[in-house]
Amino acid sequence: MQTINKGRGNRRRKATWRQRLLWLAGAALLVGPDREVRADEPDAATGAHARYVAMIVCGTCHGVTGNSTYPKFPRLAGQDAKYLVKQLKTFHDQTRGDPDAIAYMWGMASQLNDETIDALAKYYAAQKAESSPARDPATIARGREVYEHGVAAQGVPACATCHGPDARGMADFPRLAGQHAQYVLKQLASFQSNMRNVAVMHGVVQNLHLADMQAVATYLEAQP
Amino acid sequence: MRHAKTLRWLTTLTAFAILLSAAPAAFAVPSFARQTGMACEACHTVFPELTHFGRVFKANGYTLTNLKRVQDVSGKKEQLLELSTTPPLSIMAQISYTQMQKSVPDLSNVGAPGVAQNGTAGFPQQFSLFYGGEIAPHFGGLIQFTYDNAGGSFGVDNTDLRFADAKLLPNNGTLTYGLSLNNNPTVQDLWNSTPAWGFPYTSSNANVSPLAGTAINGAFAQNVAGLTGYIFWNESLYVEAGAYRSAQQGVTNELTGQAGPLDGTTSNVISGAAPYWRAAYEHDWERNTLEAGVYGWNVKVYPGGSPSTPQPLRGPTNKFDDVAEDLQYQFLGEEHMFSVMATHIHESMTLNAAYATAASANPSDNLNTTQIAATYYYRRKIGATVEHFSTSGSTDNILYPPNAPGGPGVITSATGSPDSNGWIAEVNYLPWLNVKVSAQYTFYNKFNGGSTNYDGAGRNASDNDTLYLLLWFAF
Repeated sequence: MQTINKGRGNRRRKATWRQRLLWLAGAALLVGPDREVRADEPDAATGAHARYVAMIVCGTCHGVTGNSTYPKFPRLAGQDAKYLVKQLKTFHDQTRGDPDAIAYMWGMASQLNDETIDALAKYYAAQKAESSPARDPATIARGREVYEHGVAAQGVPACATCHGPDARGMADFPRLAGQHAQYVLKQLASFQSNMRNVAVMHGVVQNLHLADMQAVATYLEAQP
Repeated sequence: MRHAKTLRWLTTLTAFAILLSAAPAAFAVPSFARQTGMACEACHTVFPELTHFGRVFKANGYTLTNLKRVQDVSGKKEQLLELSTTPPLSIMAQISYTQMQKSVPDLSNVGAPGVAQNGTAGFPQQFSLFYGGEIAPHFGGLIQFTYDNAGGSFGVDNTDLRFADAKLLPNNGTLTYGLSLNNNPTVQDLWNSTPAWGFPYTSSNANVSPLAGTAINGAFAQNVAGLTGYIFWNESLYVEAGAYRSAQQGVTNELTGQAGPLDGTTSNVISGAAPYWRAAYEHDWERNTLEAGVYGWNVKVYPGGSPSTPQPLRGPTNKFDDVAEDLQYQFLGEEHMFSVMATHIHESMTLNAAYATAASANPSDNLNTTQIAATYYYRRKIGATVEHFSTSGSTDNILYPPNAPGGPGVITSATGSPDSNGWIAEVNYLPWLNVKVSAQYTFYNKFNGGSTNYDGAGRNASDNDTLYLLLWFAF
C-alpha cells in the first residue's frame, strides 16, 4: 500500500480512513479493467486501481512499467498520455482495426470507462522508458535519414516533423523512441494497407518501401 | 486367493492403462474468449498450448473478465456480488477414426480364427460441456463434463477451481498467489510439459496402449481431490505444494448406500493424502520463453477390492514416488511458431501390498518415462508435431504378465518388461482457430518389452502402430 499511496500527499496530506478502505478495496480486488468506478469515488482510488490494473493485467503483455520485452506488444513507458487515451478509446469503440487490436485490445478495452482510461494513460506516461539494444549501424543510419529527411522521391515527408527530432513525440503525435522495431514495422504496414485507418499516416507511408520501413523502425528502436 | 489378488492387480494395471489411453482430451475453451473478449491467440499458440498470457490468466484464477456484470454493493461499499450477465459456457466435440496396423483378436473367438473389426469410428469419441471463467471476484474455474463413447455416459472430467489474487511488490514486482482445488494432479499446472496438458493432447480410445504408466500421468485423474497452494513471482518463479486424497467417482458404500465412506469394496484408495509439489522458472525474452521445472508426488495406495472380493483398507500399501523434470521452450513469431516440450518422470514403486500377496514379482520396482515433443505452426493454420516417447523400468513378470496358454496376448509381455518406445507424428490443419483437423500416427519400436512377438502370442510392436484421424472443434 505504501507504494500505491506514494506521491499523493500533494493533493491530500493525510488520507482519511474512508480513502484507505477504498484503496485497500481497490488493491485487493483482482479484477479486469472493466471494474465500474462509481462517480463518487475519489481520484486517488481510481489512480491506485489503474496502477494495479496496469501492473497486474496490462503488465503481463506490456511489462509492469510499460517496457515490454515481447515485440508483439508495444512499449508504453513514457508514451504521450493523450495518444494513449485516444488509442484506448479506439479499442473501446472498436474503430482501430489492425489484427492485434482486434484480437487483444477490443476485448481488453471493451469495459473501460473514461476515468480508468485517463488514469491508465497517466500511469504509462509517467513511466521511464528503457533503452533497447542497438542493432545494425548501416540500417540505423538509413533509418535516421528517412526519419529526419523523409524520402523525397517517394513523397514521404520527414517523420521528425511531427514526432519530434528525438522521436519522443510532440503534441498529439506519439513517442516512437525505443519502440520495438517489429511493432513499428507492423504499424507502418497497417497504415499503408489502411488496416489501421489513420488518414495522415496512410498518406505519409503510402509509397514508403518495405526496406525503408524496416530501416526507420530499426532506427527508432535504438533511440533513447 | 493368490490368483484372485494377481487378477485384481492386473485389473488395476489394466484400468490404469485404459485410463491413460482414454485420458480425457486437454482443451482450450471458447468460454474464456467469451469472457475476456480476446481471441484464442492471446492465451494459446494453437489450442491447448498456452502462451505466457494464458499461463498468467490461469494463475490468476481464470478471473480476468470483460463481461458486463450484475453487481450488488452494501451500504458500506462492500461488493457483495459480481456475476457475469452471460455465463462463459462452451461445447466441445471430437469425432475420430482409428486404424491399427493389425487387428486385435476377437475375444469372442479366442482359440478360433477371428479378429476384431479394424477401423473404429468414434462419433463422438468425446463430447464435453465447459464452464470456464470467473465465478466470483478472485474465484474462477474450469469445469468439464464429458460424454465419452467408451463409458457411454456423462461424467465429471477435468476440474480446476481456483482462488487467486495478486499483489504489487516493491521495485515493480508482482506476486500472484492462490489455491487450486482440482481432480487430476498437474491439471492445475501452467505449462504444457506436464502430463495433464501435455502432448499428445488427445489420443485414440480404440487402440492398444502399453501396460506401464506412471501414477502421476493420469492414473488417478478424476478420482482424487487435491488442494494445492501456489505463488507465481514476477510471472517467472512458480512454486506449488498441496495434497491429494481419493475422491472416487461411481462408487457406493454398501452400508450407507451413499458415495462414501470408501471401504474395502473399492480399489486403489489413497492412504491419507498424497503430497504434491512443483517448482518452475520461466524466462521470457523477445519472442521466446524458456521454462524448466520439477514436480512430483508420493502416493500410497491400498489395493482394496471390489464388492465381490473386498479387502480391508489397512495394512501394507503400494507406494509410488514420482519425481519429474520438465522443460518447455516456445518461439512465438507472427507467422512461425515453434515449441519444444519435454518431461522425464522417474517412479519408484514400493510394492509392500502387492509383493505380500504375490501380485508383484519384486518388493520394489522402478519406471522411467521420457517424452520430448517439437511443434511447428505456420500462421496458426498448418502445423505438425513429432514426439519421441520412451518407457523403461524393472522387469516384473507379474506386473507385466506373460500370455496365459491359449490367451489372446496383446496386453501381455513375454519378457515381463515394461519397456516401450516409439514416435508420434501429427499434422494439423485449422480452418478456423476453434476447429482442428488432425492426422496422428503412432509408431512403436518396442511394446511391453519387445519388438517382435512381444506378447508371447506372436504380435509385434509395430502391429500396434495406429493411424488416428480427428475432427476436433469447440464453440
